[in-house]
Amino acid sequence: MAELINPAPVVHQRKETRRRPERQQADGEEREPIDALEVFEHIRDITDPEHPYTLEQLSVVSEEAIQVDDAAGSVRVQFMPTVEHCSMATLIGLCIRVKLLRALPPRFKTDILLAPGSHASEAAVNKQLADKERVAAALENPNLLQMVDRCLGSSL
Amino acid sequence: MSLEEVQSLEGHTDRVWQVSWSPSGDMLASCGGDRTVRIWARDGAALVERWRCVAVLEDTHSRTIRSCSWSPDGRQLATASFDRTIAIWRHAGGVWENVAMLEGHESEVKEVAWAPNGSLIATCSRDKTVWLWEAAPGNEYEVVDVKHGHSQDVKTVHWHPRGEVLVSASYDDTIKLWVEEDDEWICAQTLAGPTGHMSTVWEVAFDAAGQHMVSCSDDCTLKLWACRKEAGELRWRLLSTLGGYHDRTIFSVDWSKAGLIASGAADNAIRIFGEEGAAAAAAAAAGEAGGAPAAAADEEALAAAADATAAEPGLRDIFMQQAHSGCSGGVGSFRLLCKREQAHPLDVNCVRWHPTDHTLLASAGDDACIKLWRWRPAGADAAAAGA
Repeated sequence: MAELINPAPVVHQRKETRRRPERQQADGEEREPIDALEVFEHIRDITDPEHPYTLEQLSVVSEEAIQVDDAAGSVRVQFMPTVEHCSMATLIGLCIRVKLLRALPPRFKTDILLAPGSHASEAAVNKQLADKERVAAALENPNLLQMVDRCLGSSL
Repeated sequence: MSLEEVQSLEGHTDRVWQVSWSPSGDMLASCGGDRTVRIWARDGAALVERWRCVAVLEDTHSRTIRSCSWSPDGRQLATASFDRTIAIWRHAGGVWENVAMLEGHESEVKEVAWAPNGSLIATCSRDKTVWLWEAAPGNEYEVVDVKHGHSQDVKTVHWHPRGEVLVSASYDDTIKLWVEEDDEWICAQTLAGPTGHMSTVWEVAFDAAGQHMVSCSDDCTLKLWACRKEAGELRWRLLSTLGGYHDRTIFSVDWSKAGLIASGAADNAIRIFGEEGAAAAAAAAAGEAGGAPAAAADEEALAAAADATAAEPGLRDIFMQQAHSGCSGGVGSFRLLCKREQAHPLDVNCVRWHPTDHTLLASAGDDACIKLWRWRPAGADAAAAGA
């Protein structure tokens, strides 16, 4: 990579996890509702596209910026790029979207948004991430899919 | 009033993006993320109405098939794909053959629409362009025009029922109306700005007479547009906005020849809108033109809208006959007649009314299913309850 967009990001510690014990789920029985922590667990270890750190270490994602309504089937994730002209913002958002597409039950509607005021082209990035046709086409693009999978490799 | 599920057509292995009835209504084509097209036909032997898959068209497109469109004679089908190509298929005796590939778009093709006269095909793409192709002898297709009017990817192209106007709608939030002038297609009007949509426009549809148009958008509204004559020129103006009904992106809209508007959205629901008043609904069901006069409030909105839209070269006088038959009548007073929650367990990507059976509706979803629905008007409901 020629020139880094943010050459010296602030790196935070990975927080202690409060991982819950494995789900015990009898067939067709009550299931535990999905909450913000569970969504955070899915996305915290995604690798940043330009640094060898995770989105959690760079404070791009946090449990506080995730809203989940299990009954309504909605998930809303706000992410905060490290710099407000970050050209990787769309790719980061796409990685979060793809990870949640793969990890959550399909009934969930996910909205992936930049934290308000965190990016110079906030509306444009949000619109792209919300367009499922563009997302579907992106995932059929081998180069882009390879980039996404590289970022997701660390979060399996 | 209700929408009753008749049948679920299963076979696709990924999201179904679009369904398209053949012009006579004897077949339904579907396409989607599994890169196949499926052809469904009514099972003549069955006592109750059943549709079954009679053909699978595959191994031609290498990516998602986003759209499919029948030729007006019903003998050919065009399919548009994210692989940048459009395929032309011909069928005879139940056998489907890929007879041509249209290449030229620089990225995903989003929609293909066969013109009502059968000689032109319109396509649009992520590459921001609209292309017009003309059929030549020997399965050849020539590019007759490439339009660069949109500033973002073009989501849909749709022909006016009489074919003189091509409509395109885009991620740039605008709708453009194109007409042919001296062998060139020019943008006659752009529907944008204060009266236009505030986000991506996904689809448009015309009423049977072609005097009104409905558009649906990521801004969660439907907009009704009317054509009227102003200072000798025909212009499309906003008639009313149907807002507050949808919670998420509206991907698809269709206007039945009987006057009902169906919408399909990312909130998994299908909604049916009809004109205010039972008389209007009955008239529409009977296939009659016209309806209740527009309310005064709509007229006011119309006047305000007329001032707000930017001036552009006018549409040619192709709507002359329609203009004096009463463009402003009716359609301003649409209301929600029925909301079918969880029509699909996931996003509804497409809704299409049957071309001749005006109470039959097809829908396509992210659940890889196609569903067929029966519209039961108010009277039918009461009769069913009585029985």
